[in-house]
Amino acid sequence: MTQASAAGPVQRSAHRAEALAARLPALLVAAQRVAATVAQGIHGRRRPGAGDAFWQFRPFLQGDPTTRIDWRQSAKADRAFVREREWATAQSVYLWRDASASMRWSSPLAAEDKRARAELLLLALAALLLRGGERVRLLGAETPALSGSAGLEHLAEALLAEPDGGSGLPPDAVLTRHSRVVLIGDFLAPLEEVAAAIGRLAAVPASGHVLQVLDPAEIDLPYSGRVRFLGLEAEAETLVPRVEHVRAEYDRRLAAQVRGLGDICTGAGFSASLHRTSDSPETALLSLYMALAA
Amino acid sequence: MIFAAPAVLLALAALPLLWWLLRVTPPAPRRQIFPAIRLLAGLDPVEQEAARTPWWLLALRMLAAALVIVGLARPVFDARPALPGSGPMLVVIDDGWASAASWPRVLAAGDAVLDRLARSGRPAALLGTARTEDGMAPSPSPVMPPAELRARLAVLRPKPWPVDRFDAAAALRAWTAGPGRAGSGASVYLGDGVDAPGSAEFAAALAGIGPVTELRPDPGGERLLLAPREAGGALVAVVARLPVAGPSPPARVLAQSGDGRSLAEAVIEFPPGAASAAAPLALPPELRNALGQLVLAGTASAGAHWLLDERWRRRPVGLLAGDAIGAGTPLLGELYYLRRALNPYAELREGSLETLLARPLAVLILADRVIPDGAEAERLERWVEQGGTLIRFAGPRLAEHPDRMLPVGLLTGDRALGGALSWSKPAHLAPFPSDSPFAGLAVPEEVSVTRQVLAEPRPDLARHAWASLTDGTPLVTAATRGAGRIVLFHVSANADWSNLALSGLFVDMLRRLIALSAGIAAESESGLQAPALTLDGFGALGPPPVAAQALAGDAFARTVVSPRHPPGLYGPESSRRALNLGAALGPLAASAPIAGAVEEPLGAAAPERALGPWLIAAALALFILDLLLSLGLRGVLRRGAAVAASLALLLAAPPALPGAHAAERYPSLAIHLAYVVTGDDGVDQISRAGLLGLSDYVNQRTAAVLAEPVAVAPGRDDLSVYPLLYWPILADAPLPPADALAALNDYMAHGGIILIDTRGGAGGSGEDFNPGVDATLAGLGKALSVPPLAPLTTEHVLARAFYLLREFPGRYVGAPVWVQRQQDRANDSVSPVIIGANDWASAWAVDADGHNPYAVIPGGARQRLLAYRFGVNLVMYALTGNYKGDQVHVPAILERLGQ
Repeated sequence: MTQASAAGPVQRSAHRAEALAARLPALLVAAQRVAATVAQGIHGRRRPGAGDAFWQFRPFLQGDPTTRIDWRQSAKADRAFVREREWATAQSVYLWRDASASMRWSSPLAAEDKRARAELLLLALAALLLRGGERVRLLGAETPALSGSAGLEHLAEALLAEPDGGSGLPPDAVLTRHSRVVLIGDFLAPLEEVAAAIGRLAAVPASGHVLQVLDPAEIDLPYSGRVRFLGLEAEAETLVPRVEHVRAEYDRRLAAQVRGLGDICTGAGFSASLHRTSDSPETALLSLYMALAA
Repeated sequence: MIFAAPAVLLALAALPLLWWLLRVTPPAPRRQIFPAIRLLAGLDPVEQEAARTPWWLLALRMLAAALVIVGLARPVFDARPALPGSGPMLVVIDDGWASAASWPRVLAAGDAVLDRLARSGRPAALLGTARTEDGMAPSPSPVMPPAELRARLAVLRPKPWPVDRFDAAAALRAWTAGPGRAGSGASVYLGDGVDAPGSAEFAAALAGIGPVTELRPDPGGERLLLAPREAGGALVAVVARLPVAGPSPPARVLAQSGDGRSLAEAVIEFPPGAASAAAPLALPPELRNALGQLVLAGTASAGAHWLLDERWRRRPVGLLAGDAIGAGTPLLGELYYLRRALNPYAELREGSLETLLARPLAVLILADRVIPDGAEAERLERWVEQGGTLIRFAGPRLAEHPDRMLPVGLLTGDRALGGALSWSKPAHLAPFPSDSPFAGLAVPEEVSVTRQVLAEPRPDLARHAWASLTDGTPLVTAATRGAGRIVLFHVSANADWSNLALSGLFVDMLRRLIALSAGIAAESESGLQAPALTLDGFGALGPPPVAAQALAGDAFARTVVSPRHPPGLYGPESSRRALNLGAALGPLAASAPIAGAVEEPLGAAAPERALGPWLIAAALALFILDLLLSLGLRGVLRRGAAVAASLALLLAAPPALPGAHAAERYPSLAIHLAYVVTGDDGVDQISRAGLLGLSDYVNQRTAAVLAEPVAVAPGRDDLSVYPLLYWPILADAPLPPADALAALNDYMAHGGIILIDTRGGAGGSGEDFNPGVDATLAGLGKALSVPPLAPLTTEHVLARAFYLLREFPGRYVGAPVWVQRQQDRANDSVSPVIIGANDWASAWAVDADGHNPYAVIPGGARQRLLAYRFGVNLVMYALTGNYKGDQVHVPAILERLGQ
């Protein structure tokens, strides 16, 4: 009881993500069915190497240590055979969410702001991954890769300890080659900057998924009349005499932004999806997980 | 309705311009934070037209602007027509005593006149017709604009003396003769409607100025207290007024003590057309000594106060003769002449010496009564030393046995003058010496003395002599003892030794002596009396004005009050003389209206009402509404917040108090004192207020927690939850019904305590306040099962239950309190009934302001404190029974321990 009541925001955030993940047994089953290896967490690399699963016998070659000879197999034939096991590695998944000021905003149409939704989704995904035995780490953070159920709390701590700010784009961090990356943010920055940032990641090479989180008000522009718009990141004010008259143009620009982001991702080998904060987080989690499992 | 500044209305023409300006100005944009602002930047709107201010907001602003313009045009409702004339206006106000009663209306009417003058822009001057406080004759103020004159009008106060019509007429004539006044003057006269000397001249002078507008008050408002009369032992208040034909409200005259408490009230009805009416004031003699003034209730004026000085006090006089049997014999008895002389002027009491001294007594007259040494003499001596005045008359007994209680030593035996065996002739009285209290009384020739007792010749004998015979032997001698005084008439109180008792001088001498009895030193009649406290125009006593001068002692009766001699109290603290306004004023008569004047009623029509401020206020409210709406349109103000704020104001109504009658329904939840409902509302109110006061006192002083007192009706309510029942007895109360008696008997039999209060029975200071109650109590005692009773002593538990008490006063003192006899061991020796006559509830009573509304008699804070203490003991006795009974035995226990 004392522990529960003394739980800080870190534990609460972790518990909430766990609770969200616990609501996805069906997702886990689906994931198992789609790709057993992914769902198991241990990815067979379809090639011999360090692992537990039997891969093949091959003839003893010069230079192989004699201790590796499978004597039982060798006895069946004239040649000596070596038992090879499949090379299995635990996948490291890099997670990132946008911490810029523009994420801390919500319209009356959404229950929580974009940052909270992004962190929730990030933690839920991490919970799923950790449960599956994957190793997760935050993109750009110094924390080591985390695994096991205890890793979720460390991850949440690291997430909340990270200060606000940032450019709204993933940082230029050192990645392991061929690792998977999940990027969550609003991606409202100019498309050239987004393309550069994702291109750097793709050059490592790394692949993954980009989840664009937007407030419903940002999508629908539900204002009318004479409105003076103010930005959150020191942008210039914009006075719109009649909002209803610019709504169509805004829709076009937003669609172009979303489409451009999708194009950038496809080109860099990333998948992309859009999530409204007014929708339930489970759908977004499912799409994320599906994208990772693919 | 008229507009005082109609030119401002032209501004209404500018409203369409305002409409157009408001329409072209777009409303301020609302501010909205938006992260995706980059996508909005540089958007080309399809249509450039800005949003318009909504039409209803425009209409609201136009209405507010229109209200401001109309308000600034100063519309006035019920406006009176402009006053006649064109030049400066003279406003004449009667500021004598008669205006004080309606002074607020006079001031309001004066203000209204100034309003009318201000509208037409005419200057004015102000003239009060009474002399000012420093004795100056009336003179008009300088001519000035009405706005400045308003301040002068506001400080004008009614004077406590009558108006001076002659001087006012002179001032009016001087005004008319002023430069540039001929032909253009006009005046407004706010009169008091009372006729005064010089009215005709005044009216002529007023009409000489120009057109006159007269504002007359309704007759009947001015009332004047005239000198009260003595009739049948009671004081009769007389009120004069202007005769009114129809019925008029009665006047209430309050008799008040010097510190402003009302002691009695008389309601005086005026017959239609009568100029004055009178009614007696019923006052017990003890209270009459405390009278300070008569006041007309509800009238603030010097004429509504009649100050009473020492001459109006009555002092109870005890009479005691040496020969009790023959004392009252007509023409022969020793007390016969004394009674005849004093009865109209003093309250006489007769009885044994002990009975007489048991009650407060100012003067005791002993006619040939010898006081032998002993307890009686000591008691009498103590009384004299505490301030009593003892008057003794000589006689055969005193001549033979002179005692200690005499002003001078007496030679044994008497001397006879002009008898058959004597050469000398009966002696006559010498004129009274100037330092004697009898100084100034005329000595009739026919008074002669044939026998007298003789004083021992001593050097200071002359100093003790207040009256002497022509041969120098003292006839009346006096000496002070302590705070009191002993006076000896050397002749007998009947016609045996002298015919003094037959003369009018006898009466005057006795009256002087009795007036002296409260310790008032004799004063020389012609001495000047300096003003001490004077009444102002509204009848409030205060320090005398600078112009007030001393008044000769013999001039009080004929002096008309004036700035030199304002009504009030004169003379030193010990012997105040009162000068009253009504003394020199006769019945009132209405003054004739000014010939040719336009008459308007004073304050009868609806007053002029300026509408401007209200319109401006409404415009301000509309502007605030506009501000709220604009903020709401810009999104600064959330709609919910505005609604919540307005609703919060509406819902701020005080919550209803639940369970106000909880005590009535569930009396057992707390300890309540209870009183028996008598059916007399006044008595029940006193009971309730008394028990309330006692409960508060008990809650403050003790650990007991008492809730509000409860009214009960025996037989209907369950009495078992009340520890104590207070039962005031009415003299004319019928015997309670059988079921009530049964309930009370049951209550007493099971531990309840009833305090029966006859509120003024025999034996106490409130003896005659509830006449006939003793018979009622006797009948009640037969019906109730009252145990054998004994007087309450200090040995009883009730005297020690909380405080140690020696007496048990309530409003009255002295009457014995009866409780159950101690040796009855039933009910743990707790008396089921306590019977007394001290009217405790009145002493305990507090009103809503926390004051004690009923004076205790004879009075003093100590008596009320003791009354409360008795109440606390009573509650403790009711709550704890004989718990403190051991205290009674403490002396015995201590004694035993000591042995």
